[in-house]
Amino acid sequence: MMLSDDITGALSLSIIDFILSFVFIAGIGGILYLFPYINKLGEVKENKY
Amino acid sequence: MIDFGALMNALLSQTGLISISLGNIVMILIGAVMLYLGIGKKYEPFLLVGIGLACIVTNIPGSGLAEPGGLFYYAYKGVELLILPPLIFLGIGAMTDFGPMIANPSLVILGAAAHLGIFVALIGAKILGFSLAEACSIGIIGGADGPMAIYTTVQLAPHLLPQISVAAYSYMALMPLIQPPVMRLLTTKSERRIIMKQPRYVSRLEKIVFPVVIIIIVNLFLPPVAPLITMLMLGNLIRECLLLDRMAETVSNSLLNVITLTLTIAIGSTMKADNFLTAQTLIIIVLGLVAFVFGTASGVICARIMNKISGGKINPLIGSAGIASVPIAARVSHKVGQEENRNNFLIMHAMGPNLAGVFGTAISGGIMLALLGH
Repeated sequence: MMLSDDITGALSLSIIDFILSFVFIAGIGGILYLFPYINKLGEVKENKY
Repeated sequence: MIDFGALMNALLSQTGLISISLGNIVMILIGAVMLYLGIGKKYEPFLLVGIGLACIVTNIPGSGLAEPGGLFYYAYKGVELLILPPLIFLGIGAMTDFGPMIANPSLVILGAAAHLGIFVALIGAKILGFSLAEACSIGIIGGADGPMAIYTTVQLAPHLLPQISVAAYSYMALMPLIQPPVMRLLTTKSERRIIMKQPRYVSRLEKIVFPVVIIIIVNLFLPPVAPLITMLMLGNLIRECLLLDRMAETVSNSLLNVITLTLTIAIGSTMKADNFLTAQTLIIIVLGLVAFVFGTASGVICARIMNKISGGKINPLIGSAGIASVPIAARVSHKVGQEENRNNFLIMHAMGPNLAGVFGTAISGGIMLALLGH
């Protein structure tokens, strides 16, 4: 285990996890901002199926 | 001459009557209450019928269904070997439209903000004497994501699986009671009345690309939770490609029902008296409630901040939906919004943070699993 099994370990894990969660989610959000540009690549006609 | 007394004694020794304990009786009553709530009160019957019945059977000495070789034992193996939670996610993916999340990327951040409760419960559990691995499993209850809570607990603290899964699923069902008071306390009447702009149209191509992109990101950066999210996104790809209708139908209905039943039996079969009737169970249930309350509060506060920054365009009620538990939390946001303004339809806006919350919980769980060396 990389973290100590005490309050310090719990605090460290919580802070690291909370910050990284924001970073990852913000990263996914950033990628989603680019999604409208995908439509310039082409179109999938739904009535085709 | 036949000795009937000896025969009856031999027969009795083969039954559970001889070794039933007070703890077993209490657990059988708990199982019966679960059945009553599920069937009589229609309170999450999909979960409580399986869990309640398996709890009763498991606590009847001598039934052997939960012992090695018994049917329930093999159902639990599906959980222990981490097969059932990803299959649940496959079904959920096949029945979920991620359009609201793709349409409004700025709201995705609420999926992380509403997870403060996880860490409050984690630190609380550590202060109360749990090991760090146990505390993480207890904290993840605050993610309001049953399969993720089970997935993390099986790897970090498998002995706490019954308490944590029962707490997680119970609080998910109780969200319509837990969240509204916190939401009302942290928002003003005028904020709750804000009508949000209609989200943009999301094309089929975007919906097909989305699961593929997420699968790549998660497998690249968060391998510990890759089985769960990969299956979630596979289910979604089956749905969105529009070529596999029969498969999407089977996965989101028949398969999901079979897996849910097996999972609930597995959870119920772990509710043995000596494991469940402890002070730890009570502490875990209280910490689970703390996690839900803080998660709701942090989501609403973050949404209020985003509302101020955007100039009043975001209704803070959608912040609580970031806690995951799709679509219960989004429905709660919508319902509380409609109490203030009957013409306000927040459900689609709340679904964005709600779906992001699934990823938020998976990210938190993945980081815990990675850092604790599992």
